Amino acid sequence: MSVLTKQAPGAAATLAAPGGKPGGTRPKRKNQRSGYLFLLPWFVGMLFTIIPFFASLYLAFTDYNLFTEPNFVGLTNFQALFEDPRLLQSLKVTFIYTFVSVPISLAVALLIAIVLNRGLQGLAIYRSVYYLPSLLGGSVAIVMLWRYIFGNDGIVNGALGQLGIQGPAWVTDPEFALSTLIVLNVWTFGSPMVIFLAGLRQVPTMYYEAASIDGASRWRQFRSITLPLISPIIFFNLIMQLIGSFQTFTQGYVMSGGTGGPADSTLFYNLYLYQKGFTEFEMGYASAMAWLLLMIIAIFTAINFIASKFWVFYDN
Amino acid sequence: MKKTVSTPISRRLVLGAAVTAAGLALSGCGGGGSAPAAGGGNVELNFVYWGDATRAKMTDAAIKIFEEKNPGITVKSEYQDSGPYADKLATRFAGGNPPDVLNMANRSLLEYAQRGTLADLRSLQELDLADIPDTIQSRGEVDGKLYGLATGVTTIGMVVNKAITDQAGVIIPDDKTWSWEDYAKFATEVTQKTGGKVYGAGYDVATETGPILFARQRGEDFYTKDNKLGVSEETIREWFQYSVDLRAAGGYPPAGFFEQIGGSAAQSYLAKGTVASQIIPINNYKAYNEAAGGNVVLLRMPGETTEERRGYSADPSMLWSIAAKSKHPREAAKLLNFLINDADGAAETLTQRGVPINPEVADAIKPKLGKDDIAFVDMVAAIQEDDLAPAYVYPKGASVVADTLKQLATEVEFGRVTPADAARTFLEKSNAAINK
Repeated sequence: MSVLTKQAPGAAATLAAPGGKPGGTRPKRKNQRSGYLFLLPWFVGMLFTIIPFFASLYLAFTDYNLFTEPNFVGLTNFQALFEDPRLLQSLKVTFIYTFVSVPISLAVALLIAIVLNRGLQGLAIYRSVYYLPSLLGGSVAIVMLWRYIFGNDGIVNGALGQLGIQGPAWVTDPEFALSTLIVLNVWTFGSPMVIFLAGLRQVPTMYYEAASIDGASRWRQFRSITLPLISPIIFFNLIMQLIGSFQTFTQGYVMSGGTGGPADSTLFYNLYLYQKGFTEFEMGYASAMAWLLLMIIAIFTAINFIASKFWVFYDN
Repeated sequence: MKKTVSTPISRRLVLGAAVTAAGLALSGCGGGGSAPAAGGGNVELNFVYWGDATRAKMTDAAIKIFEEKNPGITVKSEYQDSGPYADKLATRFAGGNPPDVLNMANRSLLEYAQRGTLADLRSLQELDLADIPDTIQSRGEVDGKLYGLATGVTTIGMVVNKAITDQAGVIIPDDKTWSWEDYAKFATEVTQKTGGKVYGAGYDVATETGPILFARQRGEDFYTKDNKLGVSEETIREWFQYSVDLRAAGGYPPAGFFEQIGGSAAQSYLAKGTVASQIIPINNYKAYNEAAGGNVVLLRMPGETTEERRGYSADPSMLWSIAAKSKHPREAAKLLNFLINDADGAAETLTQRGVPINPEVADAIKPKLGKDDIAFVDMVAAIQEDDLAPAYVYPKGASVVADTLKQLATEVEFGRVTPADAARTFLEKSNAAINK
């Protein structure tokens, strides 16, 4: 997934180059052709997304159970969605996770990016060190490691013990399990950080020079120059993090061994969807769930786009 | 440096990326399968099972013998942990690409059988069922047809680390007559005499085999003959209450203590030495004894003589099935026949998957067994000396029942619900899943 999303910016940039004139000049048309050529792998990959995409739309209106032919059942699955207490629980878990971890991880990412942007010695090393967790954060090994760090005999409770505090059961207590995963997610701030860093580089230094001459404080410079100029990047990161977070699966699956436990406290929406589809064999219902999630994500993205008119600054 | 500021990311771009990222979630559902390539002349069977590396090594040795005895058939086997195995199996059946011979869990048999995905084993000529007792066959029967054959017979038992109890000076009660009360007293004493370093009891509240036996002792069938839930709310409440009381007394570890999910004998708390006793499927006794230092004793479950009736049943550890869509049903039947009736093959796998269901095979391998496996086989024989109440196939929805039990056990563990409320919820959710 990250491969596709990362290709998208490049893709749009290439397409944008020929501009509004369809029958451009020769070199432009040539550019266009090579642009599409470079995009080819993405189009091929897209086929593998589009076919299941429409298959799941159809299945959402059936009683498909993986084994026998699906029968059309109309809106039954969608009606059942609203009477399912575990679905509500999974929405609750996913919303809490998203609305707590996304703002925190964006703030941390921006903060670290600003620090790194001040021209540190060995920037490349720091950048890699901070970026590494986001490459690893979704991996099974790291979630397993997290289980040990936050385990009853792990280093977190070990450190608390040194201070004379009896730490809770971070992983197995329903009151704490989700917060442990939120900490894990915040820790993987690396990929928005790298994007912030790239954005900060684009801000011309002359603005800061001019502002310093006018006597603006650092905080003032940050608020009046940095923030507006990188606001499209904040917006981009916000949207991507939001979507990624709504779709969290691996962390919940590995941490709870696939159950969403303890006591459904880490039952992420996608984990529940997976359980419905592959352990309870209700693939029709699972497909309906997938479409509900798409709608939820679409609504939140739309809200953000509308709200962005008031705070995102586009120069062009 | 450019003169104007160009923001690298436009509004349209963010939208495009958003749509792509969101759309990917949907592609997770639906799917396809690829057809296996047919080998010319030589038949390749796909054989899948769950287990660990030890089991795989023994199975591979047996498969080699099968291939030698059946030229023209090669067996491609795959194994995994039970959790991922169940998921992968479902996807392979859904994709129309099921394995030929496979391991089936007791709790999944009905789900698969009633959807027509498994072959009726009695229709396969190559499979000889003459020596297989009816009581064993009945555990793989659905609607009068045979869809699963036990890989072997096992039951549950209590294992106690005698090294710990000896050192603490605690005497293990006589397991032929001990009650649940005796067990609680014993466990609490272990915790006290080890100064809280070791908890006396560390059995798993959330695995259904425990309450199944407990219900039988109380005169109830957890799962009934007509594939319903037969356990009473009161029994489930008692099962939860027992662990709550034992925890309060100190015999059972505090909430949040158990972190390991699933896991092998080597990863168990018994092996770590932080608990002194545990309930296990007793075909794993050897593995637990080796992992915990070699001084583990195998005991009967408490309550067998003190409750309303005996709770024990001799159960399939798991089942073998053949996919209805197998392209090579005859060869698949040959392999299954080998797995249950061939003493040479069984000499390699021994009692890994339970006591062989063919009594002649079971006798033939006995001289090859080590002392731990002999203890296991003897106990399976011993519990069957009296007449036991019949046990039945797990109903459809049994996997939801298992998940529900796990979830509620945690709620009770952390005191979020009372045992009474948990029992009521358990019955509601389980009945809903089974009667669906």
